[in-house]
Amino acid sequence: MSAHAESAVHGHDHHGPPTANKSSRMDATVLGMFLFIGTEAMLFGSFFAAYFFVRVVNPDASSIWPPPPYEFPKFVAGINTVILVTSSFTMHWALQSIKRNNRRGLQAGLVLTILMGTAFLLTQFIEYAHVGFNTGDGAFASVFFGLTGLHGAHVLIGLTLLTIAAVRAFRGHFSPEHHHGVELPGIYWHFVDVMWLVVYATVYLL
Amino acid sequence: MVRMALIGIAVAIPVTLVAVLIPWLPTSASKQMDRIEFVFWFATIICIAIFSLVMAVLLYSVLSFRAPPEDLSDGPSIHGNTTLEIAWTVVPAILVIAIGVLSAIVLSQNGNAGTNPMVVKVTAQQFAWRFEYPASKNLKSGTLVLPLGDPIKFQFKALDVIHSFWIPQMGQKQDLVPGIDTSLVITPTRTGTFSLVCTELCGLGHATMRAVVNVVSKDDFAAWVEKQQSGGGSGASGAALFASAGCSGCHAFTPAGSAAAIGPNLDNVAASAAKAGQSTEEYVKESIVNPNKIVAPGYAPGVMPGNFADTLSAKEIDALVQYVVTGAKK
Amino acid sequence: MSVAEYAAHETGHGGGSAPHRRGLLMRPGFIRAAWCFAVFFLVGLYLVAGIRWLAGWDPIYDWNIIVLVGGLVMGPVGFLLGLGAFDYWLYWISGRPTKPDDHANHGAHTWTDYFKVNTDHKVIGVQYLATTFVFFVLGGLMAMLFRAELAQPGMQFMDTQTYNGLVSMHAALMIFVFIIPAFAGLANFAVPLMLGAPDMAFPRLNALSYWFLPIAGTMFLASFLAPGGAFATGWTSYAPLASEQPIGQIFFNMGVQWAGASSILTALNFLVTIITMRAPGMTFWRMPLLVWANFTTSLLVVIATPFIAGSQFFVMFDRVMHTSFFVPKGGGYVLGYQHIFWFYSHPAVYIMILPGFGIVSEIISVMSRKPIFGYRLMAMSLLGILVLGFSVWAHHMFVAGMADWLRVPMMITTLLIAVPTGVKVFSWLATLWEGRIHLNTPMLFALGFISMFVIGGLSGIYLASVPIDIHASDTYFIVAHIHYVLFGGSVLTIFAGIYYWFPKMTGRMYNERLGKLHFWLTFVSFNLTFFPMHWVGLVGMPRRVADYSDRFANLNLIITISSFALGASVVVFFYNVIVSWARGPIAESNPWRALTLEWQVSSPPPIFNFDEIPQVVGGPYEYGVPGARHAILSGGAAQPQETTV
Repeated sequence: MSAHAESAVHGHDHHGPPTANKSSRMDATVLGMFLFIGTEAMLFGSFFAAYFFVRVVNPDASSIWPPPPYEFPKFVAGINTVILVTSSFTMHWALQSIKRNNRRGLQAGLVLTILMGTAFLLTQFIEYAHVGFNTGDGAFASVFFGLTGLHGAHVLIGLTLLTIAAVRAFRGHFSPEHHHGVELPGIYWHFVDVMWLVVYATVYLL
Repeated sequence: MVRMALIGIAVAIPVTLVAVLIPWLPTSASKQMDRIEFVFWFATIICIAIFSLVMAVLLYSVLSFRAPPEDLSDGPSIHGNTTLEIAWTVVPAILVIAIGVLSAIVLSQNGNAGTNPMVVKVTAQQFAWRFEYPASKNLKSGTLVLPLGDPIKFQFKALDVIHSFWIPQMGQKQDLVPGIDTSLVITPTRTGTFSLVCTELCGLGHATMRAVVNVVSKDDFAAWVEKQQSGGGSGASGAALFASAGCSGCHAFTPAGSAAAIGPNLDNVAASAAKAGQSTEEYVKESIVNPNKIVAPGYAPGVMPGNFADTLSAKEIDALVQYVVTGAKK
Repeated sequence: MSVAEYAAHETGHGGGSAPHRRGLLMRPGFIRAAWCFAVFFLVGLYLVAGIRWLAGWDPIYDWNIIVLVGGLVMGPVGFLLGLGAFDYWLYWISGRPTKPDDHANHGAHTWTDYFKVNTDHKVIGVQYLATTFVFFVLGGLMAMLFRAELAQPGMQFMDTQTYNGLVSMHAALMIFVFIIPAFAGLANFAVPLMLGAPDMAFPRLNALSYWFLPIAGTMFLASFLAPGGAFATGWTSYAPLASEQPIGQIFFNMGVQWAGASSILTALNFLVTIITMRAPGMTFWRMPLLVWANFTTSLLVVIATPFIAGSQFFVMFDRVMHTSFFVPKGGGYVLGYQHIFWFYSHPAVYIMILPGFGIVSEIISVMSRKPIFGYRLMAMSLLGILVLGFSVWAHHMFVAGMADWLRVPMMITTLLIAVPTGVKVFSWLATLWEGRIHLNTPMLFALGFISMFVIGGLSGIYLASVPIDIHASDTYFIVAHIHYVLFGGSVLTIFAGIYYWFPKMTGRMYNERLGKLHFWLTFVSFNLTFFPMHWVGLVGMPRRVADYSDRFANLNLIITISSFALGASVVVFFYNVIVSWARGPIAESNPWRALTLEWQVSSPPPIFNFDEIPQVVGGPYEYGVPGARHAILSGGAAQPQETTV
């Protein structure tokens, strides 16, 4: 995404900017993505803080979580966890494939990842419809919908990035040397997966 | 150096005069405020010293080292001085920790209610204060009356949003938070009439959410309690209720001498009742018990508390209705 | 290459600014932005209505949610799309071959280029400053309006809801769309130049994050049009009051999200630029302190800002989705809001002052002709403030009813933060010592800043002490303190920075006499306005009140009159800036004889800053060191300044 890295490639007679000095071994876009993930993690942090206040700090908090008669669908969400974790492996496979110049592998990996991500979202949506409570049913529901909803929104962003990568993969972009367009959505996707494990553990299991 | 010291003194003198001559704090009316004043002056001495030092060096430098515009020379290339840098890290650290230790001691003293203090329950809601005395058979009042001398423990409840309890002369302050019980200790040391103000923005009536505080001798307090409980006091009268239930915080009403403009002007309530096709009495009573049923044009619904039917007895509501109906313009 | 040469070159290259001849409606610009806004609003409207219809919720047209989704989320996205902020990315995303990067959107050739999506960090810097000063003027006028109301006790010419709205709007504009982004603007202009970089790491992202800003500010202002009036809960917007207020409140909730996203993306850009694009030889210990200041500020922004986003989301959910994050009846915890809010908003005060520290360090060293005293300790104290800044948030909540055991630790950390701050003040003083002090306008503002900030810092000591804070919190003492640090601190440094870099930004010199007049008017009227507030607060006047007890009447009248004088002083500034920009004398490339890199190129700088990246060979403040140089430049840029011995 850095304009200056690219301009060196098609410099011809056009006078562009001087090539910036690279003062770090880290690539600018990868560093940017890590910082962005850092700030995303803090956004999740604020939602976990709300969870902490509602469930732990609040002196009137119910000792049973979620307060009866409500229950969280641990089993369905568990299956969803398996789906999402698997998709991290297919994502990794896609990236490794393009590094070895295996375009079929890249395409298949991306498509599989997108399919699993979509399945996750659909499951989540059906879970919402059958969970038996609504956003207005108390603070436990606020926290439940808040955290899973925030995570769902991130899955959606991740899927958008992956779709872009897939479109470009099928149009013949990316090579063993140039594959930032796969690597960055990949990093983001792994983050979304890890975040889900934390959400699942704190909201459903603990 | 002498010149700089002179500048320092020249700064310190007016600053000290400003600190001493202006009555920065209200005349204390509680033990807690006395202690707060002590910390305040302790911090002020340190602050005057630091401010004078900084300004002395700054002014001295500007006066002594000023270069004419055509002077193109550079200053000496001093990059630092480790001793000096350590000194101005360590000395301020010691000073602020001294303030911190003193503050922590005073804080724990100010929070100590002793054994078995008198308890006053305070309830706040938009935009009124109510007080309850559990030791005096749950006596209720809209004026805060306190006996002199002993620590009093306030127990707070907020019904809608966050409010904050502050009597400036008594120093102590505490937010009242919906869903959370908070408390505060005050030991009044001076009789007189004070003002209790809300200091946390709580909506459109925030500025006028005040209550009267009377600090009286222990005997007078006992007499006041007696009078209230026997019913002979002003407790049941419509005029007193108008103030204690918080009506005067929002409504203009000539007989009560209030001019607040949060809610409709009650002088004209008869006309509004006629418009609604009700008798003035019915209309006023309904507006107290169920304020959102008919909202006067130009005012928002949901502003007036809807729980007066619970917080006032039927007798009190009737007294209030009578007071408003007789006082309003016919 | 000069701007004119570049423009000629560009036209010869085939008119890079209009690669496709497109009609007025389809060309990126404000016309396309307007209809895209409308289309996206309608999409949002029917999205909400459609979902509600499918789910069988009543009413189908819930205007709370439609305004939120259509007007405050989708509409602005459409606006940005229409403006052309996403054009390049959309080409890239769709896998179409992106046109060679012709820098058509780089640099400003005419004044209209300042109203486009521009990728040049220098143009963006000026865009930021111009926009933020519009909001500064509006916020200031609002302050004068409610000061007029406060001239006398009782209500004169507005109702209390309007008053609360004006107070809240004043703070929201000044904090979120003036001070924070004004510093981002100055840094945007200066940091890449100081680093020896041709631009920021992500120029298009830089342009996008600028354009979030007018959206955020307009959103705040638009709440005046909402039924029930503007948001009226203060800039702190405490729950549960905030979730019960009229609909204007969600304009605040969402405006903060846009402003927050803007500062997060900018901060991220700064961090990547500073880490990956420093010129050869520019080690961390050779970076100017302004760069250090922006590095630490950016870290604060990236870590803390998501928390205010969270807090505003929760308040909004409590309103539109009937959740109970802060509703005790549903099991929510009211104080959670304040903890989450202040976990951002305390670091936010450092976000609003650290860049100012950087600006002042530059000016004091240059104008005293001496190296910064204790350079490394200056940089370390910034990091010290960064770390301590995250452990003090609950000092805003000493009377809020939080756990008692939190008070003393929070007091100690708060008091300790005075130590690194004190180190900075003492180091500036030591830099002045035995210097050759040139008392021009930037220097006057820098010295004014030191004296005012010391007062603000010392009143902070009072507020850190829990017993005093219990008496003083939520009174006018707080108002005085915040204005001594944010006006006497931040705003004075913004002025200092604008005067200092004015010749570099515009290529022209401001009027020195008017600059000094501006300083003295501001300095005197500022003190007359805000110093009496300490007193009026301590003797008993709460803040955010539309009406007050008669005994405060005299002081309030003095404050109101002074505040009008303070407002008038800004007129001098605008006159000076506008007239000098149009007709001022042409500035030299290095009027201050400074060593940092931005002064080694022409004024204004060439379009890509440097023809060749300079080689850094020494520290940035080596004044008075025989033969010392900060950097070696080659090519057509101005010759580096030799320091005189």
